Amino acid sequence: MGRILCVWWDAWALRRPDMPSTEASFAVAKGKVIAINELAREAGLFRGMQRRAAESLVPNAHVIEHDPVGDARRFEPLVQLIEEVVPRVEIVEPGLIFVPITGAINYYGGEQQVVDLLVNSLEQAFGDGARFGVADQPFAARCAAALATEQPIIVRDDAKFLASRDLSVLPNPDVVDTFRWLGIDTLGDLAALPRAAVASRFGNIGLEAHRLASGDTQTVSPRIIPEDLVVNKTFEAPLLFVQQVEFVARELASELMAGLRAAGVAPRVIVIQVESAAGSLRERTWRSTDPLSQVAIGERVGWQMRTWLESKKGVGSGIVSLKLAPLELSGEGRQLGFLEDTAAVQQAEQAFTRLQSVVGPDNVVTARRQGGRTPAEQVRWQPWGEEDAELERVAIAPWPGRTPGPAPSLVPPTPVPLAVEWDRGMPSRVRLRSQWVEVLNWAGPWRRVGRWWKEEEAVDEYQIVTSAGAILCHVREGGSTFMAALYD
Amino acid sequence: MLTTPFGDVLDRRVLDDIIGDTALRVPKPVNILSLEPGRVVGLVGDTGTGLTRLGMHMLAEASQQAPVAMVDLNGWINPLAAWEVGIAPERLVMVREVNQDQWADVMGVLLRGVPAVYAEVPPRTSAQVLRRIASSARKLKTSVVLRSPNELPSGVAHLMISSQGVVWTGTEAGYGYLGVRDLLVGANGRGVGGRNQALEVEDDGTDTLRVVGRVGASSS
Repeated sequence: MGRILCVWWDAWALRRPDMPSTEASFAVAKGKVIAINELAREAGLFRGMQRRAAESLVPNAHVIEHDPVGDARRFEPLVQLIEEVVPRVEIVEPGLIFVPITGAINYYGGEQQVVDLLVNSLEQAFGDGARFGVADQPFAARCAAALATEQPIIVRDDAKFLASRDLSVLPNPDVVDTFRWLGIDTLGDLAALPRAAVASRFGNIGLEAHRLASGDTQTVSPRIIPEDLVVNKTFEAPLLFVQQVEFVARELASELMAGLRAAGVAPRVIVIQVESAAGSLRERTWRSTDPLSQVAIGERVGWQMRTWLESKKGVGSGIVSLKLAPLELSGEGRQLGFLEDTAAVQQAEQAFTRLQSVVGPDNVVTARRQGGRTPAEQVRWQPWGEEDAELERVAIAPWPGRTPGPAPSLVPPTPVPLAVEWDRGMPSRVRLRSQWVEVLNWAGPWRRVGRWWKEEEAVDEYQIVTSAGAILCHVREGGSTFMAALYD
Repeated sequence: MLTTPFGDVLDRRVLDDIIGDTALRVPKPVNILSLEPGRVVGLVGDTGTGLTRLGMHMLAEASQQAPVAMVDLNGWINPLAAWEVGIAPERLVMVREVNQDQWADVMGVLLRGVPAVYAEVPPRTSAQVLRRIASSARKLKTSVVLRSPNELPSGVAHLMISSQGVVWTGTEAGYGYLGVRDLLVGANGRGVGGRNQALEVEDDGTDTLRVVGRVGASSS
């Protein structure tokens, strides 16, 4: 049985040199609070609450946007320090590390000695704030670290330790609510249920929760990596720039996932290995509680390589080779839709990755519907392959005054000047492709008052029908007219 | 021998004289909206005539199985319209602001990776490039819709649809709003049996189109 040390820094996203220590502070990502300091907690904030609710509760709080790259960069020196004591660590996210210490226990002469050595090293170099938990399994070690204060908590019996923990420590909040509704409040209650019955009723999610509650999770230990699933790439000219590195990370993640998908698996752990132009090798392991997706792998590889490129002990001479090895393969590969063609989806994803090198990552895009009145406002663009960006406006609100009728097929990024002739306040002719075209009919005007606080002008909106097609026309305060959309 | 439902015998020659040859030839139902693997459909006509939305309708079926791509030269294509006609939002990828030099490369990559592609054709694209793309599409069994303001060279498109006019209803001197669009198109090429056909496409803004032949307008 291996032993795992979990080192956890609460609210790592807020551990920045520019953060005020005397104000309530919180970090947000995608409209939700992801990290809070002690003052914010005392004011009633909690992780997962909506940003607006948090801001209304503590209007003077210092708010920062989540910066995963910056977090990873600031975390790197701590990882390097731990690696000086124990050679292999697994990063879950900046601020949370698992360290398999079984080998180190033999080397340093005992579990307590290893833990003390790490605690003292980290405190001397970076001050206090880290919490330590030791257990047989990562989940129990994580729960122990969450409970620890100044002294590490060392768990001897995972199942016994977990039995009294509240269900809220489970990673999936949806299943927690269902279990509570059924009268199950602690991990011990859940572990006492027959596993087959839980799996039958709740499927993979329930099975995973039962495994965690029983202290029966994966071990953090070296495994044999199937060689045919490892991907690597060498570069004739060393990669020196962050943009190059991020692009390569996405491309290699796509290649890795193509092989894994074909095998119907997804990794929970990914090992990133690079070789620098100076000949040095660097390796880092990233772990996740859920099977990693292509996007998640690309992000982690990008963060890690960026951190190495920018760190003094990194690969400043540039990267000449990159290797990705998947570990702890889970059968819970990506679930495709009923009609979805696996091979076609995989081929398409590879094509989009290649296209990003031809036209640039920002020009290969997907879109999501969001709230808004004009057709342009109702679309949220984002580069293909990136995690969903936060919506700017709520889609489910009624949005009175929204442009009526079928959606126009063409919407210019900014409205295009349009010449319109008026006859007693009614549109009579429109200039299209250097020709005047008669207006056959029109609807409107609908007055739209702009957001004055953003210096938007009020406009009158018309749908104008000509023999050459229909146009969505905006007339601004001074009488200037613009084509806002075209019904092609 | 032709007989009426009432048992009267009709002389075929007399019948031809009365109603003419073309009227008897009822056009076969034409499915211009279904893309076939390896076939190129050309949509030719000025902007504003409804062909972009028609092209989106063609992609909708393919998007149920795998991601589809739209090559948008100027960044104007609106995904709201694409979702409205039934393209699955999570399976629509746009390649935007593609210049003339990149276009052939972009198409080359898409033809190899995506089962259905809608692409705006840059104005000065050579016939050679278009023929090469059509040939690759055939070889790779990729469905392609090419939207061009100008005629496509011969041998490129399996089915060519050209706009002949558009009629909107729903607006009335300031009242109402855009509702139903009747798109008048001509179809030719092997996709319609090598015969020119005149069609009317009624689009009420949903994911359903009604395509009918324009009686008396077809010519052999």
